[in-house]
Amino acid sequence: MTGNGPFAWWRWQRLFSDFSLILGGFGRTLLVAALALLLALVLGTILGLFSASHSKILHAITRIYVEIFQNTPLVIQIFFYYNALPYAGVVLSSFMIGILGVGVYHGAYVAEVIRAGIGSIPGGQMEAARSQGFTNFQAMVYIILPQTIKIILPPLTNLAVNLIKNTSILAIIAGGDLMYHANSWASNGTLSYGPAYVVAGVLYFILCFPLAVWARRYENKLKNREFVTAETVELISEVIEC
Amino acid sequence: MKKGLVWALVISMLLSLALFAGCSKTPAGDDTKGSTDAAVAAIKARGVLKVGVKEDVPGFGLVDTATGKYAGLEIEIAKLIAKDIFGDETKVQFTAVTAATRGPLLDNGDIDMVIATFTIKPDRLETYNFTTPYYTDAVAMLVKKDSGITQLTDLAGKQIGVAMSATSKAAITEAAAAVGVTLTDANFSEFATYPEIKAALDSKRVDVFSVDGSILTGYVDDTTVILDARFSPQEYGIATKKQNTELATYVDNLVKGWLSDGTIDRLITDLNVVPPYEG
Repeated sequence: MTGNGPFAWWRWQRLFSDFSLILGGFGRTLLVAALALLLALVLGTILGLFSASHSKILHAITRIYVEIFQNTPLVIQIFFYYNALPYAGVVLSSFMIGILGVGVYHGAYVAEVIRAGIGSIPGGQMEAARSQGFTNFQAMVYIILPQTIKIILPPLTNLAVNLIKNTSILAIIAGGDLMYHANSWASNGTLSYGPAYVVAGVLYFILCFPLAVWARRYENKLKNREFVTAETVELISEVIEC
Repeated sequence: MKKGLVWALVISMLLSLALFAGCSKTPAGDDTKGSTDAAVAAIKARGVLKVGVKEDVPGFGLVDTATGKYAGLEIEIAKLIAKDIFGDETKVQFTAVTAATRGPLLDNGDIDMVIATFTIKPDRLETYNFTTPYYTDAVAMLVKKDSGITQLTDLAGKQIGVAMSATSKAAITEAAAAVGVTLTDANFSEFATYPEIKAALDSKRVDVFSVDGSILTGYVDDTTVILDARFSPQEYGIATKKQNTELATYVDNLVKGWLSDGTIDRLITDLNVVPPYEG
């Protein structure tokens, strides 16, 4: 452990003495992830409801949105916000790009989950609600959505895990997040990249692992219930594979 | 249920620990290798010298996109080393490296040495062996002509784009402090590659693109200009693995020889490389 290998003990000590830098990046990652998740949920819910409506225009809007953001790499989208938008006079900070870029991208996936969730509720539910005098909107809010929430929670949690990991994209635009600071620390001073990347990985793991475990447990619990079939849950999981 | 989670955590921690132990022990085992001849013999036995070079630095290491061939001062030095080992300058295999990849590639044995505008620094000597410098550069600054920045004192409040693993951040901060301008971490944006910094300069994300002067010459265009200010000499050395002191001594002797017999000076002239910085 006293040698000069990339994981030598003294390198870890150096890292821990500079740990406030890494923690600062960790805080930035947390904040960006939380706000981006909020944005993704809001956007995704609106778009998911659009695609469950009967309006062709709303359908088209959702399709275009989802296809554009799901079928181009996030790294190109981020690069576009960072280096192309300024030519149009729009200069967003790296922080804002993190929230907008990651939030808008994952919003497309949330929209698909919500669409599939609504689709998994038998059509008879809506008909029954309408026959009792509910409007379309009321039926959605009081009858359909409450039932979908249980089904879509596991896939949404998996999306949140992906979202957290994807905030590391900020490193390429000097975004000050965990990955950026790990990179920066690793490439300065004694070039001790070993501990820097391991610690960054562990910190991401600490954020994501509990969420992933919770989602899996909840999903298993759902599979044992009678009203939602295992096929429905698997169907939705397939929709969000990304 | 909770037990399962705790075990999963414990097991993953142990696995990662085992990984570190493995990684830190393997290179230490190399210590017992014999003389200089042994280090060179190992390369000889393989039949090819593996060198990490830059592929985007005109004059030092640049790939001709049409032919895929490398050219530059550092390429010629690598060929000279191959000639010394094998008697054949073509027995060298180039790997393009960036500031972020050259260290790991060297550590894991993918390449024997790095000749890639790698600045010698006291901190870095704890991690790698460096030869006597074969070239001395200096940090310079590239700005947009219409930015109004002409000297160090104009840097207050500006954003400066630097390369990760480059020494320019510390160098500029120091040089600016000497003229009364305080720069903090918030003034710097670090990028992994030079083209990314140039893109950020063009989109006005950063006001200054600052790396070693030799590298900057490849990025001057109609809208940009390199400022006259040069500071903080950057001495380039050939880096080898820390444990492999025999190889380090061998390469260092070669470089010393080429410096004293004028080989390197001749290469600099022949290749039209900017003469070394003499601060």
